[in-house]
Amino acid sequence: MSLASRPRLTTRPWLPLAFALGAIALGAIFGFGMPAYVVFVSTSVLVAMVSLLGLGIVTGTAGMIALCQLSFASIGAWILEFLYLKTPLPTVFGAASFLVFMLIAGLITAVLGLVIGLPALRLRGVNLAVITLGVAAAVDTTVQQLGFPDQSFAHIPRPFGLTSDPTGDRGYFLFAVVVTVLIALAINALQGSRIGAAWKSVAFSERGTASAGTSVRTAKLSAFALSAFVGGIAGCLIVGQITQVNYLTFTPINSLGLYVLSIVVGSQLIDMALFGGILFVVIPEILKQFRVPLEWSSVAFGILGIQALTSNSNLGTGVRAALFRRRRLREAARVEAVGDVAAVETVAEAPIPTGTGRPLLVVEHLTVEFGAVKALTDVSLVVEEGTILGLIGPNGAGKSTFVDAIGGFLPQHTGTATLDGEPLDGLAPHRRARAGLRRTFQQDRVPPSMTVGAYLRFVTRGKAGPDAIADALQFFGCPDASIPLSVVDVGTRRLVEVAANLAARPKLLLLDEPAAGLSHDEHLAFANRLRRAPEHFGTTILIIEHDLDLVRSVCSRITVLNFGEVLASGDRATVLSDPKVVSAYMGETEML
Amino acid sequence: MSLKVTDVVVRRGVGPVISGVSLEVHQGGITTIVGPNGAGKTSLLESLSGIIPIASGSVELDGQDISKLSRRQRSLMGLKHVEQGRMIFPSLTVRENLKLTARAKSDFDEAMSLFPELEKRVDSQTALLSGGEQQMVVLARTFAAKPRYIMIDEMSLGLAPVVFLRLIPVIQGIAQSGVGVLLVEQFAHMALKAATDALVVTSGHVSYQGPARELLGDEALLRNAYLG
Amino acid sequence: MNIIIALAVGFSSGALYALIGVGLTLMSVLTRVINFSLVAVGVFGAYLSIRSAPLIQSAPLEVQTAITVVIAVVVAAVVSGILGWIEATWLSEATTTARSAVTVASLLMLISLSFILFGSQPQSLRPLLVGPAFLVGEVAITKVGVAMLVAAIIVGVLTWIIVRRTPIGVRLRAVSDRQTAAELLGVNVKALQVSVWMVMGGVMGLCVSIIGNTAAADATSMIALVIPGTAAALVGAFKNIPLTIVGGLVVGALQGALTAFPSTTQLRDWIPILIIVLFLLWNQRKEVWDVAR
Repeated sequence: MSLASRPRLTTRPWLPLAFALGAIALGAIFGFGMPAYVVFVSTSVLVAMVSLLGLGIVTGTAGMIALCQLSFASIGAWILEFLYLKTPLPTVFGAASFLVFMLIAGLITAVLGLVIGLPALRLRGVNLAVITLGVAAAVDTTVQQLGFPDQSFAHIPRPFGLTSDPTGDRGYFLFAVVVTVLIALAINALQGSRIGAAWKSVAFSERGTASAGTSVRTAKLSAFALSAFVGGIAGCLIVGQITQVNYLTFTPINSLGLYVLSIVVGSQLIDMALFGGILFVVIPEILKQFRVPLEWSSVAFGILGIQALTSNSNLGTGVRAALFRRRRLREAARVEAVGDVAAVETVAEAPIPTGTGRPLLVVEHLTVEFGAVKALTDVSLVVEEGTILGLIGPNGAGKSTFVDAIGGFLPQHTGTATLDGEPLDGLAPHRRARAGLRRTFQQDRVPPSMTVGAYLRFVTRGKAGPDAIADALQFFGCPDASIPLSVVDVGTRRLVEVAANLAARPKLLLLDEPAAGLSHDEHLAFANRLRRAPEHFGTTILIIEHDLDLVRSVCSRITVLNFGEVLASGDRATVLSDPKVVSAYMGETEML
Repeated sequence: MSLKVTDVVVRRGVGPVISGVSLEVHQGGITTIVGPNGAGKTSLLESLSGIIPIASGSVELDGQDISKLSRRQRSLMGLKHVEQGRMIFPSLTVRENLKLTARAKSDFDEAMSLFPELEKRVDSQTALLSGGEQQMVVLARTFAAKPRYIMIDEMSLGLAPVVFLRLIPVIQGIAQSGVGVLLVEQFAHMALKAATDALVVTSGHVSYQGPARELLGDEALLRNAYLG
Repeated sequence: MNIIIALAVGFSSGALYALIGVGLTLMSVLTRVINFSLVAVGVFGAYLSIRSAPLIQSAPLEVQTAITVVIAVVVAAVVSGILGWIEATWLSEATTTARSAVTVASLLMLISLSFILFGSQPQSLRPLLVGPAFLVGEVAITKVGVAMLVAAIIVGVLTWIIVRRTPIGVRLRAVSDRQTAAELLGVNVKALQVSVWMVMGGVMGLCVSIIGNTAAADATSMIALVIPGTAAALVGAFKNIPLTIVGGLVVGALQGALTAFPSTTQLRDWIPILIIVLFLLWNQRKEVWDVAR
């Protein structure tokens, strides 16, 4: 068994559950052991923690600005009270009413989150800030004028018959602990799943996300809707705690404060959400004891927020970097060791694939113009199934523009492209990816915030099992699936990107300078592996490369672009000896 | 009086992208850097102009260490970096592009005289110009700033060889007026004919350094240097 | 309330939104940021300026007013300049999102500082212009409204002249096109951007001094006023000044129209959001992929 497929220690699925049970046990001890006032304040800490967990997904993981988290809480609270006081449902659900209503409130708030997020999330992230600030202010004044359903001072009964006295407070604290732990478990599971990978990817690169077959809008909306759901739950928890709320509990200023705090601590991390919750509740309490105006805590959060943004880090990542520095160095060393093994490995020389002869990608009269500059003019080519086509040409000839156009990122182009008989025109990039067209990027578009394995699961959209993933990684000599991408160097990350896209078994894979950043030896190994790829993965490949040795050793056919036009197209030997092609490179004759 | 680069190491991400490059550009001379794509030539220029930091080594402009100075300060000291990709300011006209750097009318006229064909386009938005015209605007604009050293990154990118042939004499003229030129090029033969000194950079380090003439005359040397 | 009069009332706030929208648009184009603190610096400056009242009691009324306004403008400009300096120093290559996030943090700080320093009661910020400017039929258009509209137009026109016709304007446009290329040519990007922040801050300080507590009674107005401002800016797609002015007036008019009918008064707070949603959808109707991402 090679190094690449050796399983790692951290695949311990029972660990989060163990933490959860431990937390609940600790919560029980805390809730019934500490003084009543401490328990009451700690319930507020849990509510703040839940709000921050929700915010953490949107701001920390998915990288957007959301300024109405407490508005979601107030909407959730409002729905809960409405269901209790204005509907006959409490008699239906009895003691479990609170729990059921809390879930319904969360779901309705999530739907509202979808509605608010929809217009804001088509691509520009800062638009969400504009709309959520507006929502925060509007919900605040509406709730001020409308009032909460319990205006007749009818107290909302606590869940499961808990009383509204200090003993009931303790029981309610435990209830809040359980709810918080469940939410934390769910979020932890989601963060590690493909959805979490989609959020991280969309925060890093929208193009990379779309090319992996995931809709950018869906990724952003799911993050925002989930944060709304969790926000609604937090609102219900507040109602249960103080049994009577008004608009002052959910002011826009506090929503701003929560957002800034989320950035400061990095509340996508569960322990940091707890720490943030403590800061949010305990600091004002301390200030109250010393008779200092409570607003100083907001000022402090604001300063810390600006500091976090200017240094592009937060408390969570800082602490983790310090704690895990030695582990990171060990992991980095393991990556290098695997790399050396891969270079030394001798694989039997594979022949250049000849394919079936059937045309797979047919491009006709492709033209792309940026204002007065004609990037591509009347480009037509055919890629035969099972082959590797080389697309070469001097710098600036339009090769990357070609891949961008076929990938769907230049909708304004004219001309047609057909993949396996189906037209690609009009399809969004993520739909083309799902139709069997994958591409890699010249720039680094692999998000460093996940492991190699998580990235592959994301790119293959869950369709490749652990064996297929291990196989693809081993095929290219990539690091083990458990290695975090942040310790992998740029050249190897490119290989991971290629392996991931091949593991998705696309019909056609467009490679944009995949070997840049590899040493000469690594080029040879890469070429050998690439020759075996069409048969191994059932894929056809189009490769853009400057290294003509590499091109000569993997491609059966070559198309040459020059100034956006096709200069020559045909089999390798003919094209490379064409005098027009030679003079186009003019001065680089030594390369051919 | 030279631009002296000593043992410069540049890191991008985890590993070094330039390791231990040394070169010297004299005023009036043209030094050309050629090499395969991805070798790190652009990163080298970016480290000299301050776009990315230098991990170790020194850069001296006329005897003064500039490795800690900001991009603007290096520019004001006379080091101009002409970036890859024809960085005109698209919403400005040709005249406005030049006015950014030309202090006096005489400087403006002198810069315009380098490329008389720009005369009739002087009030057009540069976004509407052809690639070759845009490159001329960039060079004129840089020259109008009266630099001491110019670093040019792949001037020929996306331009027809005949345009490149038009630009090379202008570069030579600029050098003759007392400016030190560092020219990164993909059209190796053309650049080597125009240059006095040459470097071949492969995978972040120098695989050949010496007079351009020697490299030009020896195909095998150049091929070896490229393949490392 | 008669609908015509309601629209006229709406004009006054609409013109204010137009001015704020123009400020937001200019900052977005010139300094690549959605400045959520734009109104806040003006309000903060104005509130601080009226604290000088006891010190200048002896001076004649016009001088007192002048001093107060100058203090408001200067304080707003300085605070805004500090924020701009932070952005230009540490976030000059950061995304618009990160740069805008800083203005959210500073908004939080300014509101909180305002509550600490000036208390939570409505401020005694006398508006500088009171009463109607003229009557259109039986409809009264307020002086404040006219002043705001005039200010929005003047700021728009002056900016157009500066940006299009002066050397500074050429540099501003160059920085806005390609910041790195401008730096490499020796353009003082930091000084230019901090200047923009300071000027916009000063304009807001003047604006808030004029409107007084008719619209900026307490610190929550720092949030309340920037929202319809963003709605106005979105009508102009954060690029087009005349449309932004029209957008602001439309938001004000719609709000005014709703107050004419008591049953729909509550909806007036949702008008800005409606405009925001509509124009977000409209502005993004063509999918354009950000080259950098």
